[in-house]
Amino acid sequence: MIVTYNWLKEFVAIDATPQDLCHRLTMAGLEVDSLKELGAGLETVIVARLDQVDPHPQADRLTLCQVNTGSEVVSVVCGATNHKVGDLVALAQPGTVLPGDFKIKKSKIRGQVSCGMLCSEKELGLAEESEGIMILPVHLPIGRPVFDVMGWRDYQIEIGLTPNRPDCLSVIGVAREVAALYGKQLTLPTIKLAEAREAISTHARVAIENTAACPRYAARMIRGVKIGPSPDWMVRRLEAVGMRSINNIVDVTNYVMMELGHPLHAFDFRFVEEGRIVVKCAQEGDTFATLDGQEHQLSADDLMICDGRKAVALAGVMGGLNSEVQDDTETILLEAAYFNPVTVRRTSKRHGLHTESSHRFERGADIDMVPVALDRAAALMAELGGGEILAGVVDVYPQSLPQREISLALVSVNRLLDLSLDAATVAGCLESIGLTVTTQAGKSGIFAVKIPSFRPDLEREIDLIEEIARLHGYDKIPVSMPIGVVDATLPPARQRLQKKLRDMLVAAGFAETINYSFVGANAVDKIALADDDVRRNQVPILNPLSEEQAMMRTSLVPSVLESVTRNLNYRSTDLRLFELRPVFLAAAGEQTAERLSLVAVMTGRKDPQGWAQSGADVDFFDLKGVVEEILGAFGLEQGSFDAAASQPYLHPGKSCALTTQSGALLGYLGEVHPRTLAAFDIDQPVYLLDIDAEELFLHHVARRSFTPLSRFPDVSRDTSLLVDEDTKAAEILAILRQNKARTVEDLTLFDLYAGQGIPPGKKSIGVRIRYRDMAKTLTEEEVGKAHDRMIKVLCDKLAAEIR
Amino acid sequence: MKQRIQQLQHDSLAALHHAASLKDLQAVRVQVLGKKGSLTDIMKGMRDLSAEDRPLVGSLVNVFKDTFEGVYASRLSFLEDQEISARLSREAIDVTLPGRRSVRGSLHPVTLVTDDIVDIFSRLGFSVEEGPEIEKDFYNFEALNIPKDHPARDMQDTFYINDDLVLRTHTSPVQIRTMLKQPPPIRIIAPGTVYRRDSDLTHSPMFHQIEGFLVDERVTFGDLKGILTHFLNEYFGAGLQVRFRPSFFPFTEPSAEVDIACVICGGSGCRVCGGTGWLEILGCGMIDPEVFTAVNYDAKKYSGFAFGMGLERIAMLKYGVSDLRLFFENDLRFLKQFS
Repeated sequence: MIVTYNWLKEFVAIDATPQDLCHRLTMAGLEVDSLKELGAGLETVIVARLDQVDPHPQADRLTLCQVNTGSEVVSVVCGATNHKVGDLVALAQPGTVLPGDFKIKKSKIRGQVSCGMLCSEKELGLAEESEGIMILPVHLPIGRPVFDVMGWRDYQIEIGLTPNRPDCLSVIGVAREVAALYGKQLTLPTIKLAEAREAISTHARVAIENTAACPRYAARMIRGVKIGPSPDWMVRRLEAVGMRSINNIVDVTNYVMMELGHPLHAFDFRFVEEGRIVVKCAQEGDTFATLDGQEHQLSADDLMICDGRKAVALAGVMGGLNSEVQDDTETILLEAAYFNPVTVRRTSKRHGLHTESSHRFERGADIDMVPVALDRAAALMAELGGGEILAGVVDVYPQSLPQREISLALVSVNRLLDLSLDAATVAGCLESIGLTVTTQAGKSGIFAVKIPSFRPDLEREIDLIEEIARLHGYDKIPVSMPIGVVDATLPPARQRLQKKLRDMLVAAGFAETINYSFVGANAVDKIALADDDVRRNQVPILNPLSEEQAMMRTSLVPSVLESVTRNLNYRSTDLRLFELRPVFLAAAGEQTAERLSLVAVMTGRKDPQGWAQSGADVDFFDLKGVVEEILGAFGLEQGSFDAAASQPYLHPGKSCALTTQSGALLGYLGEVHPRTLAAFDIDQPVYLLDIDAEELFLHHVARRSFTPLSRFPDVSRDTSLLVDEDTKAAEILAILRQNKARTVEDLTLFDLYAGQGIPPGKKSIGVRIRYRDMAKTLTEEEVGKAHDRMIKVLCDKLAAEIR
Repeated sequence: MKQRIQQLQHDSLAALHHAASLKDLQAVRVQVLGKKGSLTDIMKGMRDLSAEDRPLVGSLVNVFKDTFEGVYASRLSFLEDQEISARLSREAIDVTLPGRRSVRGSLHPVTLVTDDIVDIFSRLGFSVEEGPEIEKDFYNFEALNIPKDHPARDMQDTFYINDDLVLRTHTSPVQIRTMLKQPPPIRIIAPGTVYRRDSDLTHSPMFHQIEGFLVDERVTFGDLKGILTHFLNEYFGAGLQVRFRPSFFPFTEPSAEVDIACVICGGSGCRVCGGTGWLEILGCGMIDPEVFTAVNYDAKKYSGFAFGMGLERIAMLKYGVSDLRLFFENDLRFLKQFS
């Protein structure tokens, strides 16, 4: 909502500066988004006369004007076509900075000197749009600043109104607030209405079929108007509050709407057939053309303003093309009505038509303003368009809305706000904004508050407490700390495990990413999911911003691979990224299932670049090492890596499933499949971990117990074995563990070799076993016996040989 | 004999002093004390001495031996030091060469901000709750006093899954879910991902919020001011100017926006604060009685407050990030700055 400082001053006599006014409004809940001085810095834009207008010798579309500034005649090149000799124009002299930081300089345009610029309304910041240059009224003194002589100096105040304050969608509403804030009186506009003898009732009738949707409909008739442009003061006012001037009649409806907040509509009475208005719902499927030229398919829920035969307006939203005011309109049927907010909102949404009118009706217009706005507009129309106002008003208002009255207890106010206001202060606050406050006999501290019709938002005691709080000032409410029982337990396990998982990945060098939760439908194709994969069952968004953001993701893999691609494009080639966020799965019930998922990727060099770093690239086992660390930290050291199971986006020979000892599937890890890499335009190997964090948390083992330490020395034995090349390390370790001697402290595979010196089809594996006893120093003999036994079992089971 | 000893003492001590290396020093020692050494030689002559002379010479030999050993030891230690110094100086490295580092990871700035804020509120007795991101219309709107067909719905452009499910537009539905499952007193903080159908330089269709609410008997607007002023001072620094100004949210009344003195210019006005000197940082208010009705709390007995803030906005102010889109591009050059 935009108002201007001068317009406000018509209704409330304040002498505060615009800056102070804006501050007070903001602190009272009417947040001022911007304050703009009209004509600021434009003192060098002056009234000038065109003494001569010639075609530009080198350019068909330009004119070369001799412009009289009062003190000299200068030449100015102009691109407009609406000017002629003798016109008074606004000349921006060299040195002027026009809105938008546009500096005017003396220049040469196609070889002709141009000393300034002839301005349009738009260039002076007076209008959003304008055609041609501005032609000023003939009587102005040449050489004087345009803004001064035209009386245009003013301040535009743009307020970001919250939807609960429809009363402030008008200058008068904002002025009421201003009056309350400065302790001044609000003065309503005086309406001088001269009515003709003839009564409107002999010409027009109104009937409301649906009084729930339209509780009140009133009309006046103005006859013999002449359509023409509006006077400058009205054009400037409308432009200043962001509206375009159309003609004198339409402008009056808009002007009164901005002034009083009530939307109005002017029909050309020629097109109101049978001279009657019927307010009723549309026939499902009918079409209707609004005055912006759009055709609408109507619903039976759309409330229409009809004449004797057809619809002439979409009630409260927009008038019809078939009855709009035209250049030769002579008789106006002026509508002021009150429509049900929900009805207007539904129609407005249904047809995608958000108008100044629908905006006000859906937030709640003031039903008592109907006759006032009607009289004000009729008077202005007669004044600006000539013509006569027929006597009387057709006002159909079958059942007046009841006056709201709210009971307010002083103690409630003071308790919630932690204040100790007295009855007079509270009553004063409420009265300052037009509420009527009475104290009930014998009940001090209980008020009966009558709510005027312009405040539909005030319905409950709490609404009044808020009014008191904001008018009294939030800054006057003391600061305290809540007292009460505090639950100081640790965060639940799930939150702590999430944090632990994040911290471990950060420690392992991974950077956390956050991608959008929505992806394109093809995300599941890019990772080659099977046709029957549940992850193909993406939850679609009904109204996505784009095709690429149309589906809730069922896997983090595509998003994280996209992050890899983007980073590679930025030449960041050594990457460790992870994302720990929910995926969204369609579920049988009414809600969808959200599961926390973890995807981590590694690619590029193992270590940061450096003079003494290996420069080697990461491989599967770097990632597996990270996974083993995580499993360890979650008490799942005995998890297994099953090469037989994998994912279509992973390299079948370099990937595996990850399961707990109890067989619960946690997820998958491996090198990304070259086809998947190609789908993401990635040209270097990427290793990826994809696990279901919910499963990890579910199976984690929190229990930790201490193992006593031995005080005796350890003995290590190494043995190199020749085994078949497809023997899995896990088999060797499993056999050793199953046949572990009591004194074994640790067993590791320390070497793996195949090639020269090793028979084909075989590989050499080094097994290192460390022995230690709790109670004594082991002898060579004891160790040798234990070791030989274990190695023998290994050799027997795997047909291995000692090298 | 005595003379020979004196001569030997003189010569051998001189030789010790001149020994330039441990090897030379060792050679002198062998030359003097070894089996074929000069002293051994002298000692052999002892048996030819008279009984009176023998103790005399013997004591001379002992004095010589002690002197020799003493000088030897000090020379040895001197030469050892010299040798170690020489070796260590040969081993000197260029310590200005960069160290061998491992890769350092980083948390996303939104996570950092979330953790910091949760920490502050945890110490005030708030515990963390979560809720689904695909949310029922009831929790996201209806129960929060935002009925269908109400203009307040326009405050938040919504992504719909169907008539009944939306991508939650704020973390406030966690209020409803929590209050429906537990009675007051209640102190909750709820960080989470939220969605609005809006995308431009200053709006992201997905972003993060943190919601907080407290319900108890006799909670006042002053308590709301107290908790939030405390939080903002903890987070942005003590002495930060904070102001509360009236606003509107359907689920709180009275409602307020909270501004802090611009952290960039300190309140004198700059581009970040639009010249006002103030930055809008969060929205809050006393929980509307309608919300209590929706969760079956007794609005006569209990009161409470709620607040919510955008985490990206806070991160932008805290870390001076100028472009919202950076939070979702996952450019390592950006992420690494938070390691």
